[in-house]
Amino acid sequence: MKAKLAAPVLLLSLVVAAVPAVAHHAFAAEFDSTKPVLLKGKFTKMDWINPHSWVYFDVTYPDGKVVNWGAETPPPNGLYRNGWRKDTLKPGEEIEVQGFAAKDGAPRMWASRVTWVNAGGQQVFGLNQRRPE
Amino acid sequence: MRNGLPGSIVIMAAGVAIVSVASLSIPVQGGQQPPAQQGGAGRGGPGRGGAPAPPAGPAKRLPGGKPDMTGYWAGGPGGLANIRAAITEVGGQPAPQDPASRIPYQPWAAAKAQQNSVNLYEEPELHCFLSGVPSQTYRQFGFQIVQTPDYMLAVNEFMGAVRHIPTDGRPHIPDSIKLFNGDSVGHWEGDTLVVETTNNNDRTWLDNFGNVHSDALVVIERWTPVDANNIQYEATLTDPKAYTAPFKIAGTYRRAQINDPAYEQMEFACVEGNQDIQHYTDVVGGTAKPGPSAAPPGSEAPVPAGGRGGRGGGPPRGGAPPGPPQ
Amino acid sequence: MRNPLIVLALIVAAFGAVLFMPPLTSAGQARGANAQGPAYTPPKTAFGHPDLQGIWQVLDHSAAYNIEPHTAIFGVPAGQGVIVDPPHGMIPYLPGAVAKRQENFRNRLSQDPLNKCYKPGVPRITYMHFPFQILQTPQFVTFVYEYIHNTRTVYLNRKTHLEGLDFWNGDSIGRWEGNTLVVDVADFNDQTWFDASGNYHSEALHVEERYTRSDPDTIMYEVSITDPKVFSRPWKMSMLLYRHKEKNFRILEYECHAYAEDAAKEQSR
Repeated sequence: MKAKLAAPVLLLSLVVAAVPAVAHHAFAAEFDSTKPVLLKGKFTKMDWINPHSWVYFDVTYPDGKVVNWGAETPPPNGLYRNGWRKDTLKPGEEIEVQGFAAKDGAPRMWASRVTWVNAGGQQVFGLNQRRPE
Repeated sequence: MRNGLPGSIVIMAAGVAIVSVASLSIPVQGGQQPPAQQGGAGRGGPGRGGAPAPPAGPAKRLPGGKPDMTGYWAGGPGGLANIRAAITEVGGQPAPQDPASRIPYQPWAAAKAQQNSVNLYEEPELHCFLSGVPSQTYRQFGFQIVQTPDYMLAVNEFMGAVRHIPTDGRPHIPDSIKLFNGDSVGHWEGDTLVVETTNNNDRTWLDNFGNVHSDALVVIERWTPVDANNIQYEATLTDPKAYTAPFKIAGTYRRAQINDPAYEQMEFACVEGNQDIQHYTDVVGGTAKPGPSAAPPGSEAPVPAGGRGGRGGGPPRGGAPPGPPQ
Repeated sequence: MRNPLIVLALIVAAFGAVLFMPPLTSAGQARGANAQGPAYTPPKTAFGHPDLQGIWQVLDHSAAYNIEPHTAIFGVPAGQGVIVDPPHGMIPYLPGAVAKRQENFRNRLSQDPLNKCYKPGVPRITYMHFPFQILQTPQFVTFVYEYIHNTRTVYLNRKTHLEGLDFWNGDSIGRWEGNTLVVDVADFNDQTWFDASGNYHSEALHVEERYTRSDPDTIMYEVSITDPKVFSRPWKMSMLLYRHKEKNFRILEYECHAYAEDAAKEQSR
């Protein structure tokens, strides 16, 4: 069931995002801030694990090849308090993930933003990790 | 874990938290700044100092009259990025103005800290290790105190880490036992809980930078609840193997989740699926090899700049958020 | 004709004998965990709850190896088992679920989640070879286990389980029934075992624990297990938890994964 929810929920992520920016510095060790990417694909599965969770999705490349990408998100406590549940994303759903590619050339990225389109055609935003300005 | 708080409370809490973020020093690691990390702070998440808590009544008391610190806490001396930001005294004198020389390291320890700062693979928390005293207490996501007349337990959501602090006057455990979070014993001096922590192993860092201590470290903390919502905290670190003088950090822990009485800590299973550890490249001491991006052509797209940290979160799907507890 | 008064007396006597027999507890007669005699009334905490606080541990660790009755093997003591219902002491697996248990057993050295230093789940965490501590507040009961600093908070004021996520140690909500702490645990994943012999469950597992202090230094611990995907009926374990009374006893650390890393480094030298 995809209930539309009122605006107050939008504010939840305001709070969750404003956590000390250097909670731990996995980013610099794994991801490249000079390689921003925006990928679209079909959700396959999520790993609800610590220290970071992962959203996996199949990306179709221009040449037709399909590669399964993983996007690193906040850990389960952050996702859960931001309203995510295990059944929030359904396999096959189109999502868009914005972030930074992995330093080791694997099909992985840090997720700054995860967006999906719900049944009503409405584009809704998921988690949001922003760089400090 | 409850959603759907009144927006005004959330904004206020966010304001506190955003101010807190702004006051942190952010280290630059190899020229790359890590993006703001969302984490499960719940509402009114942890942050350093920041806006003061609303006026609170006197500290609550346990049977027997001692202050009762049971509840959720956040803030503290800060220094998670680098402990030097939290140092107030060195060798009994006010801390030097220049942060670079603030930690009174012996040369080997200074070199080790510098090495750690680039060897991110050695970060204990990456390996799901406990963080040690005192940094366990100022790690992200705050902590919970469970206090009885002769015991204090501090539980972090991060790692589900635990500090045991008996306050029944018992002696320390034998020297030859080395623990990540040491052996803490506490006694009251008036309304101040004085906690001495010995038996530390040398495997923890004082912060995310990589600042070090040896297994000779002794930490003496003073926890003074000044009212129901604020604990004045200071910790003196003495380590004759690693430092040339003792130094002190200080700050205030603020009661957290005041506006969310249903707040609960969540399980933090770390070893059970930690994928980060195998992705660290060899440049930082890991095992993965650097390589060109696997992203398809045409996917390069900058992350939009500007705006306050964290706008844009949307409605969750899958039904209404859970309601208040029954 | 029988004297009706004598018959009546016999009936009353028989009825009375039944009334005044020591109650058959569900723990059964043959195995240890059995609170016979008058019930013990434990002291209360300052806020009026039965006081379970202290550091506790099972004495009979055979359950950690295998909760069913078993012969010894090298390194593993024999045990009469801790299952009291069904009375024969064996887990009532669904016919289609037994094979996985056998496979788990065959591969237990590599497949036991504890060998990877994972969270043990509930109730296994209670009867491991490590002590645990109980602390109480008016709102919850906190269990702190020495095994990799696992903690469980049993919320006394929440009546429903969390939704939409699962946990290694489940989600625990509790209530007092007389002097018994009743803990309802749900929201499990399917990754944990009941023991080191591969007895397992699905994510549909539901556990009810009952902690009753049966004398100053003993807690009777009863656990009901329900999992319709794996078992043909609910079943129940029972065992005793003993208070640690050694002077200055305290919970130390068992940071399994740190030691495993050390061992791996040693081996690769």
